[in-house]
Amino acid sequence: MTTDNVPAAPPVSTGGAAPPGDAAKEQRRANRRSRRYQRDTKWSPYGFIAPFFVFFAAFGLFPLLYTGWSALHRVSLHNPNELEWVGFQNFTRLWEDEFFWNALGNTFTIGVISTVPQLLMALGIAHLLNYKLRGSMMFRVAMLTPYATSIAAATLVFAMLYGRDYGLINWALGLVGIDPVSWEAGSWSSQFAVSTIVIWRWTGYNALIYLAAMQAVPHDLYESAALDGASRWKQFIHVTIPSLRPTIIFTVVVSTIGATQLFGEPLLFAGSPAGGSQSQYQTLGLYMYQMGWFNFHLGRAAAIAWTMFMLLILIGLVYWAITRWVNRDTAGKEA
Amino acid sequence: MHGGWLTYTILAIFTVGSLIPLVWQIIAASHSSGRLAQTPPPLWFGDRLFDNLGSAWTDANLGLALLNTTFVAGTITFSTVLFATLAGFSFAKLRFRAKNLLFLLVIGTMMVPPQLTVVPLFMAVSEVGWTDHLQAVILPMMVSAFGVFFMRQYLSQALPTELIEAARVDGAHSLRVVWHVVFPVARPAMAVLGMLTFVAAWNEFFWPIIALTQRNPTVQVALTNLGRGYVPDQGVIMAGALLGTLPLLIAFVLFGKQIVGGIMHGAIKG
Amino acid sequence: MAIGLAATLATGLLGACSSSGDGGDDGQVTLTVGVFGQFGYEEAGLYQEYMDANPHIKIQQDSITENKDYIAQLLTRLSQGSGLADIQAIEVANIADMAGDLNTRWVDFNEYEDVDTSHFAPWKLVQSTSADGRLIGLGTDIGPTAICYRKDLLEEAGLPTDRDELGALWAGDWTAYIEAGEQFQENAPDGVSWVDSPGGVYNGVVSSYEERYYDGSGELVYETSEAVQAAWELGVRTEESGLSTRQKQFTPEWERAMANGDFATISCPAWMLGYIQEKAGDAAEGLWDAAPAPVPSNWGGAFVGVPEAGKNHEEAVKLAAWLTAPEQQAKLFTERGSFPSSLEAQSTPEVQDATHPYFEGMPMGEIFSGAAAEIPPTIIGPRDQLIQEAFADGLLQIAQQGESPDSAWSNTLSRIQNALDE
Repeated sequence: MTTDNVPAAPPVSTGGAAPPGDAAKEQRRANRRSRRYQRDTKWSPYGFIAPFFVFFAAFGLFPLLYTGWSALHRVSLHNPNELEWVGFQNFTRLWEDEFFWNALGNTFTIGVISTVPQLLMALGIAHLLNYKLRGSMMFRVAMLTPYATSIAAATLVFAMLYGRDYGLINWALGLVGIDPVSWEAGSWSSQFAVSTIVIWRWTGYNALIYLAAMQAVPHDLYESAALDGASRWKQFIHVTIPSLRPTIIFTVVVSTIGATQLFGEPLLFAGSPAGGSQSQYQTLGLYMYQMGWFNFHLGRAAAIAWTMFMLLILIGLVYWAITRWVNRDTAGKEA
Repeated sequence: MHGGWLTYTILAIFTVGSLIPLVWQIIAASHSSGRLAQTPPPLWFGDRLFDNLGSAWTDANLGLALLNTTFVAGTITFSTVLFATLAGFSFAKLRFRAKNLLFLLVIGTMMVPPQLTVVPLFMAVSEVGWTDHLQAVILPMMVSAFGVFFMRQYLSQALPTELIEAARVDGAHSLRVVWHVVFPVARPAMAVLGMLTFVAAWNEFFWPIIALTQRNPTVQVALTNLGRGYVPDQGVIMAGALLGTLPLLIAFVLFGKQIVGGIMHGAIKG
Repeated sequence: MAIGLAATLATGLLGACSSSGDGGDDGQVTLTVGVFGQFGYEEAGLYQEYMDANPHIKIQQDSITENKDYIAQLLTRLSQGSGLADIQAIEVANIADMAGDLNTRWVDFNEYEDVDTSHFAPWKLVQSTSADGRLIGLGTDIGPTAICYRKDLLEEAGLPTDRDELGALWAGDWTAYIEAGEQFQENAPDGVSWVDSPGGVYNGVVSSYEERYYDGSGELVYETSEAVQAAWELGVRTEESGLSTRQKQFTPEWERAMANGDFATISCPAWMLGYIQEKAGDAAEGLWDAAPAPVPSNWGGAFVGVPEAGKNHEEAVKLAAWLTAPEQQAKLFTERGSFPSSLEAQSTPEVQDATHPYFEGMPMGEIFSGAAAEIPPTIIGPRDQLIQEAFADGLLQIAQQGESPDSAWSNTLSRIQNALDE
């Protein structure tokens, strides 16, 4: 097993000095050990990733490829075994599909207004939870309950909150003299409402992930920062955030993927895959679901799924290019 | 560092916000369906809690469902955490051919929308005769790309390369390094990943509804049986949802100490 | 190590799960019945009754509350011929699909001599018969429709509250029903609307026509059909005269509107009575009544079929026939409010004389039988539900988003075209 971080690795020692008489024997043993060592270092990385890829090949690859294949066909949910070749028609038609563009736009806006505040709040909460607290256990469990709440319960709650005539939010707005908002019917208001469901469900979850990473930040970093007179806020900015970079990247990537595939929250908002009577909060995931499971056109749904897939790869490339560009820029300054 | 009153206040606000739906679930479970439709909605507990819990329990075959789900979620959690840690360690700290490409492949698998894999998956599962059997919901979820990614990111930050090198110098075989160096450092992340995986596996319903039936259900499948007649009884549905969530909460409270302990342990190591 | 443990667990699991007992040497047969929410066979004690009479049969029910979840599972399993129950329920919205492309996946009831189909309403049999004459489903319930109304609210607005008088007021003409609404609205109590939703009006009107979305030869005619035109126009007029609460049906807010008496009337298939009783609750007991709808129509209903992939066709067919026989259908009506699709059941005294206690002894048997006798033989096509929902959503665009009727209409058409286009 060879570690990746070559510059940081200490030179590999060959062990203590051997008595001269046994040199040859010792040499053979060392050779044997080093052969075994080499086999181990060469193959163990593959051994460690093998279980993932074996299971993925067995249960993930076939569906993935099959989905791609059926995207090139006319297929109905009535009979998924019967494929009729249509080439790239399912993809090219998306250009003129107003519902697809609508869903794409909604996915983007809901994605932005839900993900950004969510991650910022999660970071803040994780920071607070990282202090020595009484009842820290209770806080952690409580923050994970939205994630553990069933769809049925969440739906009832949000219908109660955002109802036009009987919702608690409109009631509260009425107290301060604001006219009731038709939350579900408006395009801006419904997207805002869906975003709050996303934020509610996933903030605690992300906070927990940040917290686990914060626990691994060495204490002496904080101590020396404190000795330098850094305030808590400064410590957070200059110690916590940089140490958390891999985890922050992780949550940004996962949230981006999650936002692109956003499905459960807009579905549970009014329980319909249309995402509102004007599809005002229908996301790509919901549109795909409607196409496959309600309109029964599996081929078209598969094409939407693969478009989402390729869109994410595109986002990934852009993101990669930006980080490279930023890194080169800073490297240039340092030089 | 100790938290001040502001810390407690902010956390309390978020806690209340997070808990409201759960509390509401209990309140809703204690009323009749008709009462729930009235305005203003009930804001305090009614007297139907045990009736509704009883109906939910008998209507939804929940005894078997809870056993099944515990087994399903437990197995999935164990294997996901184990394999994700191994693969995450490999991707974070080891050097091998095609590493970046393979890692991109892992991330790529996260990008496939899960709703659509259901049809081909069912074709495969019915081909091997697993319809209505628990392995149909366990085996496809034994590993997760999310978990591998999570562990890789965590370990690349938290596991000092020197620790591995030091173990290497002592002549430790790879598996020994994993056992004595990687696992102890990874514990907080393993605890969190385990918790998240368990909850997700417990609540998974899209695929199980297709793959299983009431004959051999998981909790989420069993709960789809709660509407009786044309009119869904929200009180009973909420009681069922509560029964389905309760084991998770109990698990949090019981094993929370261990999980938090795991997190703290990792902190000292770091 | 740990990997070994996981492997052991997994293999143990495979062994443990691979035995599921049915059949057997002692002649015992286990029949499974797959239903979606609205059946009530179990609750009415029908399974128990059948098992008592046939000791070698054991019945198990699999139920999924929402038809949309149920149909996803049923379609996936039908196409693979795997994991199906011996008897599966089919909602009327899906029957055209099942009797169409998928008819060969179902057993033909005509092939079984002891299945008596003479007692069903003829149009119900037509709906579940394939083009080449295979009968793949036996009718369970239907949804003859009345108008349910709040007596107290009508009285406040100065309208008659007697069901016969109201029935006569709008007999034969949905427009008269809307005009009554306009009259109601002039003197209506504060915050009370005539009807729950434009979609409810639309559903009631469109269901009273024979030809709606498809013509007799299976061609799509929704753009030009008289039924859609009439229903859409009345839906639009409902909104333009401000007659509805502008709700979407079957949402929590709609239920609250019902509980709070926000609307005075609603299109009311037999199964809606239970909804009203449950949601309007004790506070409104005795306030509701029902009058004949302007034009008789049918909204909802279901069938049971026996999938080819099942193991015990003989026994399953027997049970399906028994469950849909007149006596059982009559029982299901009196106990669960599912109105029988069997003409013979409809004419039994139990059904004819049935009253509803929550509606203060309203003669529901009489009202719904009267409607059922006049139900037009509706032509249903594979995508009826999708098209119907799109039109209801289109009316909602006018009600909730202030779209003009013209743009709502064209939005709706393009939405339907997109959904239908393969």
